[in-house]
Amino acid sequence: MTARPAWTRGEMLAVAGSLQVRDGDVAIVGLGLPQVAALLARYTHAPSTRLLLEIGVFEPDPTEPAMGIADPRMWQGGSSFGSMLEILGVMLHGRRVTLGMLGALQVDQWGSINTTEVVAEDGSRRRFNGSGGGNDIASHAARTVVIMSHQPRKFARVLPFVTSPGRMVRGRPRDQFGLTGGGTCAIVTDRAVIAIGPQGAVLDSVHPGEDPDAVVADTPIPLLRGAPAETPAPTAEQLDLIRSRLDPHGWYTR
Amino acid sequence: MRAGPDRRESLADVVADIRDGTRLALCGFAITRNAVAFAHELVRARRHRLSLTQVIGGMETDLLVAAGAVDDLSYGGGSLDRFGPLHAVNRAAMAGTLRLVEYSALALTLRLHAGALGLPFIATRSLLGSDLAQALIAGGHARLAEDPFDGTPCLVLPPLRTDVAVVHVDVADTAGNAVIAGPTWSIPETVRAADTVIVLAEEVVDVGAIDPSHVHIPAALVHAVVAAPRGAYPTAVFGRYDYDGAHLRRYAQAAADAAGTAAYLDEWVFGTGTFDAFLSKAAA
Repeated sequence: MTARPAWTRGEMLAVAGSLQVRDGDVAIVGLGLPQVAALLARYTHAPSTRLLLEIGVFEPDPTEPAMGIADPRMWQGGSSFGSMLEILGVMLHGRRVTLGMLGALQVDQWGSINTTEVVAEDGSRRRFNGSGGGNDIASHAARTVVIMSHQPRKFARVLPFVTSPGRMVRGRPRDQFGLTGGGTCAIVTDRAVIAIGPQGAVLDSVHPGEDPDAVVADTPIPLLRGAPAETPAPTAEQLDLIRSRLDPHGWYTR
Repeated sequence: MRAGPDRRESLADVVADIRDGTRLALCGFAITRNAVAFAHELVRARRHRLSLTQVIGGMETDLLVAAGAVDDLSYGGGSLDRFGPLHAVNRAAMAGTLRLVEYSALALTLRLHAGALGLPFIATRSLLGSDLAQALIAGGHARLAEDPFDGTPCLVLPPLRTDVAVVHVDVADTAGNAVIAGPTWSIPETVRAADTVIVLAEEVVDVGAIDPSHVHIPAALVHAVVAAPRGAYPTAVFGRYDYDGAHLRRYAQAAADAAGTAAYLDEWVFGTGTFDAFLSKAAA
């Protein structure tokens, strides 16, 4: 028996997501765990990260957890309140954004994202929230990181709907479509980090306690196993920030 | 003292002017700054066949679709944030009773921007390669094109104008100059692309009381000003009141099926009769 980890899967996901942020990134984040991961990065290894919210907020510094992008708690401390045309237009379409962090219903091996509809095994379709700024972010950010829980049904070789294109779409590299951003560079889950490179999906690291073979078995997309590293375990500082400040009610990480 | 036309009207008056089939644009965003007072009045007036445009859908959108008032919805997605999805929108779209035209948030904002400015079309590099673009092209709402200067692929979108835009603001003067606190997402483009703009305001003040430097929506675009204190409840208005999480959760749970949705509308919209009565009942 191994000892019970001192952190939850959601906390591990937030920490692994935060490690994708590089100091100095100009980052647009989607609702939920991407918010937690981006703020965690800014409070730890990437203090000069500038956050943007598609609703029109520059550099928020919230002191309370928020229920989403439209929750005014998330806008607290913002250095400037503007419009979506400034954030998604000037900053993003204008190629000033280096990192997008997005959630996903489903992803494929090139990091394309579906947030529109899923098809159940019986063929019935179920609709979800659609793009919002997600397509725009995945189209134009220099790097896009997907943050999601690791469930086999969330991976698909062929997505029922491509809301946001990854590195390749319909067998063609994304730049052939005229897309300017770099596309998805990583899918971070609560079990592993999957890098998306020129060869497709590569198991980059597995989180502490995870067996690489078991992770591969639960990832039903073409995935190069290689020799994955172990993702750094959460530090006491990271866990304290998540529990005391970023997600004290456990909405996202418990 | 400057003067200006007095554009104050009652909520009932402005709703009476909305006809079946109106191309209506709403300005709420998920759980914030929704024109809920207006949506309730429109539901009670039993309007039908509305053609709705909203960059990010929220509670107001879902209420109108739930009431069967909407034939088609152009939007960039939407939700009640973590309180739930737009159940009525999703259900009606799956059932085929709502024609959904889906964009990214920026692409729809750009269509409104082009409409506002009277541009012949607007080009973007959003949506390229996505199934959203495929559906928009198939529906005649977008076309693939080559950049005429460098030959690279781009997506061109036609301008979008609407008949009426409704926006919930913090302060408006009696002529319609309006102030919005906090971020403004796509409100500027949405109101500029409408032939008629209805402003619902937490506070209505005299002309001259608002510093012109602070005006987000100039009176020149506005046709009616309606006093609607707490009119966005149960959604939030930045700096004035929070969303009511318990009520949003109640709505999201009710809206998960058709019977619950109908029961919610009966109890909270038809059953209350006025928005003031709704607010009193919700506070009880």
